[in-house]
Amino acid sequence: MKYMIMTFGSAEEALKHHSKEWFKDMIAFMHKLDADLKQSGELVYDEGLVDGSQAKTVRFQNGLPVPTDGPFAESKESLVGFWLVDVENEARAIEIASKIVAFVKAPIEVRRVADAPPEV
Amino acid sequence: MLRELAPQVLGALVRRHGQFDACEDAVQEALLAAATQWPEKGVPDNPRSWLMTVANRRLVDQWRSESARRRREENAAALDLPVKGTPSAHDDTLTLLFLCCHPSLSVPSQLALTLRAVGGLTTAEIASAFLVPEATMAQRISRAKERIRASGARFDLPPEPERAERLRVVLHVLYLVFNEGYFTSSGAELQRADLTAEAIRLARLLQQLMPGEGEVVGLLALMLLTDARRAARSDPDGSIVPLAEQRRELWNRAQIQEGVALLDRVLGTVATGPYQLQAAIAAVHDEAASADETDWPQILALYEVLEGVSPGPIVTLNRAVAVAMVSGPRAGLALLGTLDADERMANNHRLEAVRGHLLERAGDTVAARESYLKAAKMTASLPEQRYLTLQAARLS
Repeated sequence: MKYMIMTFGSAEEALKHHSKEWFKDMIAFMHKLDADLKQSGELVYDEGLVDGSQAKTVRFQNGLPVPTDGPFAESKESLVGFWLVDVENEARAIEIASKIVAFVKAPIEVRRVADAPPEV
Repeated sequence: MLRELAPQVLGALVRRHGQFDACEDAVQEALLAAATQWPEKGVPDNPRSWLMTVANRRLVDQWRSESARRRREENAAALDLPVKGTPSAHDDTLTLLFLCCHPSLSVPSQLALTLRAVGGLTTAEIASAFLVPEATMAQRISRAKERIRASGARFDLPPEPERAERLRVVLHVLYLVFNEGYFTSSGAELQRADLTAEAIRLARLLQQLMPGEGEVVGLLALMLLTDARRAARSDPDGSIVPLAEQRRELWNRAQIQEGVALLDRVLGTVATGPYQLQAAIAAVHDEAASADETDWPQILALYEVLEGVSPGPIVTLNRAVAVAMVSGPRAGLALLGTLDADERMANNHRLEAVRGHLLERAGDTVAARESYLKAAKMTASLPEQRYLTLQAARLS
């Protein structure tokens, strides 16, 4: 089963709450996590995104698509990175997410990818 | 032919050298070499010994490296086996199947390893069938082989007391391969139809290896009788066509006949198991000339037996459909109600999908629409999501 594991945040908020050392540890943590998921044969794809302040949202305004500045959701925290994993079950996806949460101490969204075959 | 030879060559190599993992890599390389050379140079007179020779050479190449040699010495003890008599290719293939479905492996690993070592598929083919990158699949397979080594498994048939339970795992793995491939529409998903064919081929192989096992026959029959409806199961645009609305002239008659004949041979002669019963139910559907002519009382009776042999919420759910067909939608809905408190069904879309269907038949379109929508939100399959959303939209 494939799951998308998504992390949220913003550079500004992160800088407010964390030291330089924390960022170093965080990078090391992420490298280790990626290596582990590759090693277990579960990692399908992962990417980090540029800060949400750089995002554009194309909206439908007055009958036309209009590009606007900023991320889709009206919040300080927007999508900053994701992992696509192919795991045995939901419990395993939650286990992976829990490792990240234990480190970043912020919520992580886990959502199933709709690719399953219909049941026979 | 290449794929049929794959497990035989691998079995013989493992018998000779031990080291399942290294031999498996060598056979994979020999298969790739054959796939590129045979079409150009022609198939050799003795394809099996050609593959053996090439795989052997690869093994020797590998052992020439110092570190590999050291590893061999360490592993030889773990997987080298006392050869009792001259085992047949027949037993080797069966042994491989049990080894690949070893209980120490996760289900995705069992599937991948079975397809490669017994099915003779390449890593790239398996990766593409499961829609993951080749590197992910390669790692999963090598990890699975490591795990088999660490578990201390031997290249031998499981001892008699474990045999039934181990066979149950093998059957489940083949069933999952089939299920993974069953739905197909176009493009990339065509690869997944190949999985269905591969599952049938492996089930057929297993049936030849264990002709006396009723559940092996049952699983093969179930696959044939289910796959027979494939052409009618979806529209050209990929949307689902429910059983009652399928164009039955598109069903594969030869496959239905084969499935029914297999069932006739075992039903009543050996212990009846869940695969045989599910196949028998599929056969009743397949043999009905139209949806209206379906023998629902017989299907209901079979579900009652199935519930006795292998109880579970999905069986109850299916029985509720049969009850509704025999005694009316309200009776079916009452049985469905008994599943509401079942935690195993809490996130299963099928409960709400069936409820929507039965509510609609009972004339309660408002509640039916709500159930279809709930089901659409819960399913992990996009074609099903579209189908259920359409059902809800139809009732708006």
